[in-house]
Amino acid sequence: MNNEELRVGVFVCDCGHNIAGTIDTADVAAFSEGLPDVVAVVRNRYTCADPGQNEIKKAIAEHQLNRVVVVACTPKIHEPTFRNCVAEAGLNPYLMEMANVREHCSWVHFQDKEAATAKAKDLVRSAVERARKLEAQEEKSFPVTDAALVIGGGVAGIQAALELADGGHQVYLVEKQPTIGGNMAALDKTYPTMDCSI
Amino acid sequence: MMDVGRHPKIKTLVNSEVEEVSGFVGNFRARIRRNPRYVVAEDCTACDECARVCPVAVPDEYQQGFSSRKAIYLPFPQAVPSAYILDMENCLGSEPIACGRCAEVCEKKCIDFDDQGEVLEVPVGSIVVATGMKVYDPRMNDEYGYTRFDNVITSMEFERLICAGGPSAGHLVRPTDRRTPKRIGFVQCVGSRSATRGVPYCSNICCMNTVKQTLQIHEHYQDASTTVFYMDIRAFGKGFEDLYRRSRDNGTRYVRGLPGNVEEDPETRDLVVTVENTTTGKLEQHRLDMLVLAVGLEPHKGNGKKTVDEILNLSHTSDGFVLEAHPKLKPVDAPTRGIFFAGCVEAPKDVKDSVTQASAAAARALNLLGAGKVQVEAITAMLDTEQCIMCGVCTRVCPVNAITASNKKQKQFPSIIEAACAGCGTCAAECPTDTIAMRHFSDAQILAQVEAILAEDRMSKILTFACNWCSYAGGDMAGTSRLQYPPSVRLIRTMCSGRVDEKFIWHAFRLGAPLVLVSGCHFSDCHYIDAVTWTQKRVEKVWSRMEKLGIRPGRLQLEWISAAEGQKFARVMRELHEHLHRVTPAEVEETIRILEKQPPVPGRSKTAVAAATA
Amino acid sequence: MAEMKRFECLRCDHRYMAEYDRKVTVERTCPSCGSNSVKLESKKPAKKPAGNTNTASAKG
Repeated sequence: MNNEELRVGVFVCDCGHNIAGTIDTADVAAFSEGLPDVVAVVRNRYTCADPGQNEIKKAIAEHQLNRVVVVACTPKIHEPTFRNCVAEAGLNPYLMEMANVREHCSWVHFQDKEAATAKAKDLVRSAVERARKLEAQEEKSFPVTDAALVIGGGVAGIQAALELADGGHQVYLVEKQPTIGGNMAALDKTYPTMDCSI
Repeated sequence: MMDVGRHPKIKTLVNSEVEEVSGFVGNFRARIRRNPRYVVAEDCTACDECARVCPVAVPDEYQQGFSSRKAIYLPFPQAVPSAYILDMENCLGSEPIACGRCAEVCEKKCIDFDDQGEVLEVPVGSIVVATGMKVYDPRMNDEYGYTRFDNVITSMEFERLICAGGPSAGHLVRPTDRRTPKRIGFVQCVGSRSATRGVPYCSNICCMNTVKQTLQIHEHYQDASTTVFYMDIRAFGKGFEDLYRRSRDNGTRYVRGLPGNVEEDPETRDLVVTVENTTTGKLEQHRLDMLVLAVGLEPHKGNGKKTVDEILNLSHTSDGFVLEAHPKLKPVDAPTRGIFFAGCVEAPKDVKDSVTQASAAAARALNLLGAGKVQVEAITAMLDTEQCIMCGVCTRVCPVNAITASNKKQKQFPSIIEAACAGCGTCAAECPTDTIAMRHFSDAQILAQVEAILAEDRMSKILTFACNWCSYAGGDMAGTSRLQYPPSVRLIRTMCSGRVDEKFIWHAFRLGAPLVLVSGCHFSDCHYIDAVTWTQKRVEKVWSRMEKLGIRPGRLQLEWISAAEGQKFARVMRELHEHLHRVTPAEVEETIRILEKQPPVPGRSKTAVAAATA
Repeated sequence: MAEMKRFECLRCDHRYMAEYDRKVTVERTCPSCGSNSVKLESKKPAKKPAGNTNTASAKG
């Protein structure tokens, strides 16, 4: 792995106007081309959509990419999306890195487009440098205990417990009070059906 | 309720509390304490003999205190399990000289005064949190004279009075004279939508609950007159507008305006309500027999004991309800995998929405249980025993007990239990010899980011370490809310602020960083239990070392920002932007000169450093 | 054992007294500006901070 030649692909997302409305994404893409080991740069209107993801897969095959940097939104939303995407193209999902230029840049600096573009370039540089050091990882899987704990025996807890138990799983329903029922049990009728609560 | 009681797959543990939860998605372990009931629930036939002889009478909580119950009682007729419970606080005692009558008459001999309760541990794959909410207490602000006038009651009290199983057998009577009230008023938004009294948000259910109650009155008493005082009527759900219209058609008067004053006629105990009708702009007076306060809903607060939220390390939004993993896309998921929300613990909601959300939460949990296995992100710690000096630090700092202890005498190295490791990286940051490495958040990766950020124009940048769960998400929240702040911040994401190794900070200063911010979760929100306390200790250590070396400690800042605190995130960035301008190039150059003479981590013992660099 | 100690806020320079227990790490918040950059005040600064000396006392 250490001797492998690094081939980084950078995918800059416009996110419609969300990113491109503030950040000069063409400029960011041009800048990315000059970063170390970057061999492919692609700009997309919506990278998370199928056409955008296909561009990534295509570029991985075409340029034998072994690192992918997606310049788009927060990894808290789309990291799983792009990890799957690169995995489908045969790349280890941990060799994908995201630069968050939407939540952390275009949306919070739309009054200063120039500075936002400069910051975006910095975020890409940082992401590419991190990507160059990424290593493939194997996820381990662990068995799941076939039981659920439901805390609270009000109407929500009761419903959840029944669903889970009807699904065939052991349920422990814990209620602080001496009976289940919660607040609902103290009601006479419930709207909109005007029927009995118990 | 009955379905739960007889379902073979549900073990119902009432009178019980969750005390501790350990483990991780798919493999939790919960410790549950069953508090003493003093009645063997399985044997109790609910024959009522015990209660009949019990000499103690106390207000009945279920009936909102309108009637009394005994010290040994059934909470309500349909209770599940259908078993009595002894309220030890009010019981006279078991000694024959004191009382003990219930035990004497119990044929099944199921009263056990020595019940100590029990503690059981259960392994579970998933957890659904459905701990609900609490109802606003109008006593706190003497809302509309609630504490002074007996005929001012809450909507919850009304429920009991109109209920066939209630203290008045369903005959609506007013508390002072047990006469059926003819003129009934309702006040909306009591304890809701107020910046000063109760909570600022809309409690969701109170409008429709009042609409329902006016309909109930008219069903029972055609000649009653009902008046609702409101700000807005929120009848937004399916079928709600119909009910609202029916209520109006039945003659209920809706007056837009909340009462400014409520007085009691001392003779008749009637209530005189003064209100500005904002539709007409006129001041009105209403004489009423009874006034019902539509009280709002509040999140549970802890009272000394650890709450379920604390046990599970759940964060809260600013309204005090639990924070979801994503408000739109993962509305029933907790940020911690394997934990889901149902009902009012997430936000005030009615029965239908609670049921809907509970089904959704169950479906999420079923996904997990049905799969039978769970993949864990490859972000765990790795230990290379070659450099290990068996100092024991890693075992001590690990918040999830995933590192077995080393033993110097027996030459036994510590080892990492991968299934339990949550990937916070505190061990890697604290290890004095760099024996522990983190998958996917390696030293090399993080240092490369530090270098990239400081490569150009470093004086204009605030190098910031942000934890994945809170401060990074707080930055996302600032973005989603479009809060504007200066573009000087550069974030480096780690799973936990506990990962921020001293050497990252020193490396940044060595490369000329003017200002470094370490940010993470508030102590109560830390997703790795107490890992964040190690962050603070470490930052304090660096501050004191900076001071010794002649570097201004203020250039290293610390901030706890929750995922919900987008506002705070933006404010901190604005404040630090001001600070940035006070750091001079000369000061930065001086720092670089000072650090040139220092080891990678100034002050770290020579042997450790030698081992680390060997 | 908790004792009263002086703290300084590294954000706004506010100084104040608060309980301190060496054994217990608690979240600290400056009562003046709300920042968490709160440091136990050192008895005597070892060296004069380098660089622009105005900065250390600048009011945030």
